[in-house]
Amino acid sequence: MKSYLYGILIGLTALTGCSELANKDSGTINPGGGSGTGGSMARFAIAGNHLYVVNQHSLQVYDIQQSDNPSSLGKTSLGFGVETIFPYNNHLFIGTQTGMYIMNLNNPAKPQQTALYRHIFSCDPVVAQGNYAYVTLRSGTSCNTGPNRLEVVDISNLEYPVQVNSIPMINPHGLGIDGNLLFVSEGDSGLKVFDATDPVDLKLIKTFNDIRSYDVIPNRSVLIVTGKDGIFQYRYDSSQRLTLLSKLPIEN
Amino acid sequence: MKHLSYPSLVQQLTVSLLLLTAFGCETNTEVDTAQQVQGLRPVYASYEDVRTIETLEPQPLKNPGKIYIKGGYLFINEQGRGVHIIDNSNPAKPQKISFVSVPGNIDMAVKDQVLYVDNSVDLVALDIADPRQVTVLKRIKDAYPYPSYPSQRGVPFECADPEKGVVVRWETARLTNPKCFR
Repeated sequence: MKSYLYGILIGLTALTGCSELANKDSGTINPGGGSGTGGSMARFAIAGNHLYVVNQHSLQVYDIQQSDNPSSLGKTSLGFGVETIFPYNNHLFIGTQTGMYIMNLNNPAKPQQTALYRHIFSCDPVVAQGNYAYVTLRSGTSCNTGPNRLEVVDISNLEYPVQVNSIPMINPHGLGIDGNLLFVSEGDSGLKVFDATDPVDLKLIKTFNDIRSYDVIPNRSVLIVTGKDGIFQYRYDSSQRLTLLSKLPIEN
Repeated sequence: MKHLSYPSLVQQLTVSLLLLTAFGCETNTEVDTAQQVQGLRPVYASYEDVRTIETLEPQPLKNPGKIYIKGGYLFINEQGRGVHIIDNSNPAKPQKISFVSVPGNIDMAVKDQVLYVDNSVDLVALDIADPRQVTVLKRIKDAYPYPSYPSQRGVPFECADPEKGVVVRWETARLTNPKCFR
């Protein structure tokens, strides 16, 4: 039953990811209702009527049912070195320097820990789709000397996340997935695109060495990349090519 | 026997050293140095200045950080300075609409027509119904801990004093008897 539901979910994700028809509100400039989408490096996440904010040590919850009047609902302590937060499927995936917390939102005002997927001391943004979460581990000044790699974690049982793949990287930062394409920022070393048709066996499609990237948002066939050279937008499709649509360059 | 226990002692030392590197710097520890040393000094801004949010004409993109999308909008964080609001209804021709100056800003999220931002130590809700005239709806003061230490590790620094304002950055300086170390 569960896998059947996940199947539907994957299907839906793939549909919204690829369908041009779903592009209904991109023609309007009004932000409209509901919440938007952030990158994987985000420390803010909105799920339903709550805003979740992580800082160094904790997760802070705000009630935003009335969006113009946020009110604090309290905070939960989380180890140390909290880096990123990603809302997915009634859960929050929180990347910390020692591991990935999976918190359930059964009570959205008070997220409860479902699991802690431990990994080597490192910085680690995370995204999820279908039965898998994708975590990048990066070393760097504030993260000491961790490894640089991409880990794929089977989350079909959220209480028992299991690593199913690990790929060495150079300097991975943010990442994003849409359908069967996984985009991983490699900092000054560019941007990598993987075929994620089989997450257990990711296939590198291409490395764009010239796209210095910090984070990405893939949304409805448009990939937005932020990095030291500015904001770049690419069209992607099943042909697995990236076509440059526009750039907002750095102005000095 | 002694030879056998030696490596484990080294291991133990290494482990405690690693632990120290990892955990020892989360709080400021007092150090006692008698002479001038190279270190970091906090640069302050007044709470009033930091809490001034205003909508400006489009500004140059200099140091882009995080990004956020909502409807036809693209929000780009200018690290530590605020948010560029972009009309991205045509991704082939993104148009800058305005720049919302938010000192200390790094993160953002949008629900309905409200943009939530971190504004140094505060969390602020902004009305973006008219992105050329963004207004403050609510400010939650001291939502974040006071920035009492630099992100760099292994450096002595002049302890930050919340009475002097908010620390906006750290600069290198010759310090006499710095009391803080991270």
